[in-house]
Amino acid sequence: MIEYDSVTKIFGAGKTAVTATDSVTFTIEAGETAVFLGPSGCGKTTLLRMTNRLESVTRGSIRVQGRDIMEMNVQQLRLGMGYVIQQIGLFPNKTIAGNIAVVPRMLKWDKRRIDERIDELLRIVKLDPEIYRNRYPVELSGGQQQRVGVARALAADPDILLMDEPFGAIDPINRHQIQDEFLKLQAQLKKTIAFVSHDIHEAIKMADKIAIFKDGKLVQFDTPEIILMRPASKFVSDFVGADRALKVLGLLKVRDAMNREPRNVIQGEFTAEEALRFMEDNNFRHLIVLRENRVLGFVTRRQLKYEQGRVEELVEKFPEELTAREPLRDALSAMLMHDLMSFPVLDDSGGFSGTISYRYIQKSILELYSESQDD
Amino acid sequence: MSLWVFLQDNLSMALFLTWEHLWMVGLSLLIAIVTGVPLGILITKNRKLAQKVIGGANVIMTIPSIALFGLMLPLLAVFGHGLGKVPAIIALVLYSELPIIRNTYIAIKNVDPALVDAGRGMGMTKWQLLREVEIPLAIPVIIAGLRTAAVMIIGIAAIAAYVGAGGLGVFIQQGIARSHEAMVLAGALGVSLLAIVVDLGMGFLERRLTPRGVKA
Repeated sequence: MIEYDSVTKIFGAGKTAVTATDSVTFTIEAGETAVFLGPSGCGKTTLLRMTNRLESVTRGSIRVQGRDIMEMNVQQLRLGMGYVIQQIGLFPNKTIAGNIAVVPRMLKWDKRRIDERIDELLRIVKLDPEIYRNRYPVELSGGQQQRVGVARALAADPDILLMDEPFGAIDPINRHQIQDEFLKLQAQLKKTIAFVSHDIHEAIKMADKIAIFKDGKLVQFDTPEIILMRPASKFVSDFVGADRALKVLGLLKVRDAMNREPRNVIQGEFTAEEALRFMEDNNFRHLIVLRENRVLGFVTRRQLKYEQGRVEELVEKFPEELTAREPLRDALSAMLMHDLMSFPVLDDSGGFSGTISYRYIQKSILELYSESQDD
Repeated sequence: MSLWVFLQDNLSMALFLTWEHLWMVGLSLLIAIVTGVPLGILITKNRKLAQKVIGGANVIMTIPSIALFGLMLPLLAVFGHGLGKVPAIIALVLYSELPIIRNTYIAIKNVDPALVDAGRGMGMTKWQLLREVEIPLAIPVIIAGLRTAAVMIIGIAAIAAYVGAGGLGVFIQQGIARSHEAMVLAGALGVSLLAIVVDLGMGFLERRLTPRGVKA
C-alpha cells in the first residue's frame, strides 16, 4: 500500500519556484495498479520519483506499507521497490544475468540462489535463459531489453513496483504484446504498482485506478470505467477524448453486455417452413441455428422462402467467432464489418452461450453511465 | 651509416638512456593517474570546481616546457632539487594531468543519465554506481587520455635533459653541443620510436579493457 498525504513538491525557490505537485492525496491499495496520467509537466513523474526518494518531498508525507518513507533508510526503501524506466537503463557493461543480479547481490544472496532466480525470471518474461543469460543488452531488441528491465525490477520479489512509462519506447506491436504479458503476470503476482503514463489507452488497459493530474494537482482518482463515463471536469473529459464511450467498449467484455437468453435461436432439425413461420410471428430478421449447443450458422427469411427440408441444410456460416472474453469493441467491429445485427457468443469450450447485438451494447453503456450518475 | 656505427659503439649508453627515459615517463604517468583520475571523478559532482581545475590544467599546458623547468628551478633549489630528476618528474606529472583529468571528467559525465537514474532507483549507493557502472563505462575514454599524455610526455622528457634529468634527451642535447649529427639522430629516433611503441601498446590496452557489451 502506498499512501500519498498532501504531497507537495516545489522546485527552486523565490520567484523561480515551480510547484510540481500540489497537495496530492490518494492511496494505492495493496495489489492494485494505479496509473498516473496527465500531460507532460503535470507532476506525475515527480510524484513517482518522490515515492523512492529520487526527489525529496517539500511538504506532506508518503507512507509505504504504513511506514513514512522519510523515516526509512533510503537504500532499504529502494531495495524494497522495483523500478522500471522508459529508457530501460540496463547497464551495458553487464550481461543480462549481471543486470538482473544487481539487487539480489546488494541483498547478499548467495550465488546459487541468484543464478536460480535469474533463470526463473527470464522464463517469466519469456526469454530463454540458455540463450539470453550471458548476452549483453546491446545484443537485444528494445522489447527484449524492457523484458529484462521488468525482470530486473522483480529480482528480489519486491511488493511494490514503480514504473515510469515502462513501455513508452517500444514499438506499438511489441508494446501491446508486452502489456498483455505484464497484465497476466500481475494477475499472479499482485504487486502494488505505481505506473506513470501519458497514454489514455495504456492507462485504461493497465489500471485498476487512474489518477489524473493537471498542473501538479490531482483532478480525479477513480476506476477507468468511472473516469470514462463520468469525468470530474472538462479537463478530464477532454483528456480522455470525445470518443470516451468508444473507449469503454475496449474496457468492457462481451460477457458484460451479452444477451444470455436470446429468442432468435432454432434447432437445426426444424423445417424451413417452421422456421419461417417462427420468424414471421416474432418479427426476427435472422435466426441462429444450433445443434447440440453448437452454432451451425444463421438463416434469413429470404434464404428460407420457397425452401423445404431442414434449416441446418440451409445455414450460412458466421464469418467470425466471438467469445465472451473479447472486448466489446471487437464485437462491434465484427458486426459493422459483416453487416450483421447480432453475433452468437461462444464459451471457452466453444458452446453457444448467448448473443451480442447493437441494442445490448448500447444498453450496457447506458447502464454504466446511469450507475455512475447515481453514486 | 654513421648512426649505425655510433649505436654500435654506444649500445650500453643508448639502452641505459632509453631505460631512464622510460621510467621517468612511467613514474610520472603513475603519479598523474593516481592523482588525476580521482580528481577527474571528484569534479563531476561540482561544475564550478570542474571549470577551475580543468582551466588550471589548461594553463599549465600552455607553458612551454623549457620555461616550466626555468620557473621551477629557483623554487626547487630551496630544497636542493633545482636540477635533475625531481623537476623533470614534477613537470611531466603536471603536463599529464590535463588529458587525464579532462578525459576522466568527460567520460564520467557522458555516462547515460538514465543508467545513473536506474541504478540509484534500484538502491545502489553512489560508490557502487561508480565502481560497477560509471568507471567501467568510462575506462576506454580514460585510457585514451592516458595514451595522449604518455605520447606527449615522452617528447617533453627529451627536453628534461637540459635540467640534468637524463634520458634520451641527453643524446640530443650533447649531440647539438658537439655538432655530432649521428648522436642527435640517435636521440631523436629513439624518442620517436618510444612514442610509437607506447602509443601502440596503449591502444591495445584500450581495446582490451573496453567492456564487451560496450564495443560496437
